[in-house]
Amino acid sequence: MLTNVSEYFRPQTVEEAYELMQSDKEHSIFLSGGTIVALMESSRIEKVIDLKSLRLDTVSVTEDEIVVGATTTVESFRKDPLIRKDFGEFFYEAFSLVGSWQIRNMATIGGSIAPKLGWSDVSTCLLVTGSSLMVYGVDGYQRMLISDYFSLPAGEKPLITHIMLKRDGWFSAFEKFSKTTFDIATVNVGLSIRPEQGRINAARVVCGSRPQYPARFESVESAMADLEINDVMPSIVRSLLYESFVGGSNMTASFEYRKHLASVLAQRAAEKLKGMIR
Amino acid sequence: MRIAFTVNGRLHELEIEPGEYLLEVLRRIGYKSVRRSCGSASCGTCTVLLNGKPILSCSTFAASIDGQNIETVEGMADGDKLHPIQEAILEEGAAQCGYCIPGVVMTGEALLRENPDPTDENIRLALNGNLCRCTGYEPQNRAIKKAAEVRRGETDE
Repeated sequence: MLTNVSEYFRPQTVEEAYELMQSDKEHSIFLSGGTIVALMESSRIEKVIDLKSLRLDTVSVTEDEIVVGATTTVESFRKDPLIRKDFGEFFYEAFSLVGSWQIRNMATIGGSIAPKLGWSDVSTCLLVTGSSLMVYGVDGYQRMLISDYFSLPAGEKPLITHIMLKRDGWFSAFEKFSKTTFDIATVNVGLSIRPEQGRINAARVVCGSRPQYPARFESVESAMADLEINDVMPSIVRSLLYESFVGGSNMTASFEYRKHLASVLAQRAAEKLKGMIR
Repeated sequence: MRIAFTVNGRLHELEIEPGEYLLEVLRRIGYKSVRRSCGSASCGTCTVLLNGKPILSCSTFAASIDGQNIETVEGMADGDKLHPIQEAILEEGAAQCGYCIPGVVMTGEALLRENPDPTDENIRLALNGNLCRCTGYEPQNRAIKKAAEVRRGETDE
């Protein structure tokens, strides 16, 4: 039990939820899936604001985007037919590696992004697909890149209401290494490419659990542009990420280990992409 | 605060603390099959079904399940007749100390409702959040497979 929690709110609108938070930021916390909040065991938390009552758990499609409510669970997201129709097996397979079945039924997409978790597989996959956020804050609703959201100070983060996935025909692959089947990643890597006449027209490269939060490697992306999609391409991608890797050491792994691991995972992801396209 | 929810079809209305977890409330009202172990969403012994889906009651706020349906192992057997998964666990020797078994049974039940004919890989993936330190998992996987066959009417109960 979080013994200091004295109030539990179920706001009915996004505006109400945001105002509740603003009224006592010091002692309040947003609750979505609960997997983070419940484990914080923080005596600071006195007010829980449950976002599930906002019913932001639907997936819909526009002409050029898929719009996902922030409280959609990771498991519902990966199995959603609209997402599988546009992204094939990418999210279905990548998110099968997120935690256990029980955790995926609790953890939400918005709740996986908001705490800026270094090891979040969800953030890596959304970044590599070029997804963006709809947030509600002091200026009302606005669109925001996930990378911009990550750069905001903790106390100034707006409330994530939706995640928008581009329906732009890129091909994506994800690889992760962890020490047990549902442990957090030692390193995770996402690759997306837009092919054109047998070559890479554009690329996105994201590496997470470095142990810092997932980020794009733009120098690798630039170097991948115009590469021919052939048998040599995956090993080139491996070398590029090895040379450009930025990360650190912690109790899980050293910087050197992560650097090698990330480059191998990038090669495997590139092999997958080659197989999809050729 | 006051909440109302059903456990195995039975309605419960009760007072809870706003910071209480579902695990604590379920055990307080008598559902002792729901086990506390890691307390950190890591082992699966506290697994219950929330609206048919397996979740971890150790990290679910009780307040969040107001108006929802919970299922625990207490609701599985039909009088003296064990549920096919429970029966198969006995037959396959899939329980030794037994501490993890309620969680395994509930996850297995959710899997068979979703996929009546799971492959070995499907079973392993579904159960990967239910840790067992006795059996080495193989007997549990066989038990789920066997229960699936019984449900499909391919073998006798």
